[in-house]
Amino acid sequence: MVLAAIVGATAIAAALGLGEGDVRRLTAHGPWPQSPARDPSNAASGNAAAIALGHRLFFDPRLSVNGAVACATCHVPERGWTDGRARAVGLTQVERNTPTILDVALHRWFSWDGKADSLWSQSLKPIVDPREMGASAAHVAKLVRSDAALACLHAKAFGAPRDRAAVEPERALVHAGKALAAFMETVRSGRAPFDDFRDALARGDAEAAARYPAAARRGATLFLKSDCHVCHIGPAFTNGEFHDVGVPFALGGGRVDAGRFEGVKRVRADRFNLLGPWNDDRSGVAAVKTRHVEATHASFGQFKTPSLRNLLHTAPYMHDGRYATLREVVRHYSELDMERIHTHGEQLLRPLKLSPSEIDDLVAFLESLTDPTAARMPARPSISGC
Amino acid sequence: MIRAAAVVAGLVASVAIAEACEPPSGFTPRGRLESAGVVVLFRTLPPVIALGRHFSVEAVVCGDGTPPALTRVDARMPEHRHGMNYRPTLASKGGGRYVADGLMFHMPGRWELSFDVEGGGRRTRLATDVVID
Repeated sequence: MVLAAIVGATAIAAALGLGEGDVRRLTAHGPWPQSPARDPSNAASGNAAAIALGHRLFFDPRLSVNGAVACATCHVPERGWTDGRARAVGLTQVERNTPTILDVALHRWFSWDGKADSLWSQSLKPIVDPREMGASAAHVAKLVRSDAALACLHAKAFGAPRDRAAVEPERALVHAGKALAAFMETVRSGRAPFDDFRDALARGDAEAAARYPAAARRGATLFLKSDCHVCHIGPAFTNGEFHDVGVPFALGGGRVDAGRFEGVKRVRADRFNLLGPWNDDRSGVAAVKTRHVEATHASFGQFKTPSLRNLLHTAPYMHDGRYATLREVVRHYSELDMERIHTHGEQLLRPLKLSPSEIDDLVAFLESLTDPTAARMPARPSISGC
Repeated sequence: MIRAAAVVAGLVASVAIAEACEPPSGFTPRGRLESAGVVVLFRTLPPVIALGRHFSVEAVVCGDGTPPALTRVDARMPEHRHGMNYRPTLASKGGGRYVADGLMFHMPGRWELSFDVEGGGRRTRLATDVVID
């Protein structure tokens, strides 16, 4: 009798051993998947030709100065759009872990320090970074001009210039960024086991909710009780902002990774930010965050709250990739070093002091947020005539 | 006695200011804050503050003597010991009316929304709680 299993929130909470308010808080982590809105700052967002161009550029190592490094070198589809390394390696090793681009269209800021305020602006940074792809705007313009298929897609996506040579290098670079962003907006994850549990809670279906493994269910309540959901909030399990969670930021040699503190300075000074000439949003709404964002002492050592979806595909973890397993990440929060969190740190954080079985439960919950099919190569889009 | 009389007179003036401080036509306040002869009427745009979404605050300020000025609108989470990640910009629209743009509450919980008002050689902070689910 399916109907008999449909009960109210209080009853389903009692039946599943959930606390008061847990059902409401857990259902707030859905529904999933979400459909991100078109990016108003990118006129190519959602454009089929731009998506096809972005797809080609993403996998094309010719975009780099030595012809050996593509976006996909670090963002490997079969590895959850990361690279499995602690720290990314382009032309040389950088200081941070490669973040996944799964569901990146839902983000507010981009990169671990939020140094970019749009996906298209972030997309062009590795191309010209001497440590990553080491190319230049002129290099990108030449590539797009000289390859017939790329030139055709570019013309369809952005309008054909009267003279291909007239495409200014900076415009070509921005177009590449916008096409890459249009493609990456299509890289989305699907449903995870948690989503079935969440939907069952939402409709009061105790029988379906009971199919969610008991360990993951205990982990879910622990997740709420430990206030993890305050930052890892909403369907994507992130508030899209920045926090210092006690991960050391010393890089060795007397250098530090200042995280968000530097990120704010960089985004405010960025020629390609949303306050600049390449923002396609004439309403001014998209640039509100950039106009008002502020770096404070507390921003030092803060890094972006990552989504908790698809973690099974995206090891290792944290901004510097210091933890190889989810168990190590949970242990970090269990044994949080309060001495490390500076005086401007948030009062919210405290060592969770979890038992081994509680760590198991929290890991089971986190694992249940993974779409098992998310780590796959997407089909290559084709555009007629190109 | 003189001191007491002055206090009473101040209270009478405050009541008069409070009564006189009416919202302009079309302005439906979300809240009314009063302290030391200063009144702040405010509303938010959009009316419902959503987690992780920028919003604006529109305020009307009244006071006794020299018209007071709204100098800052800010918010913080006292329990978490942090503020917003965004600094609002404040613009005077004339007639004691102001608009603060660029606020955003990025975490659920209790936020303290504050208004700094200056006038008559003193600064007054008026604050109210906003709970974000």
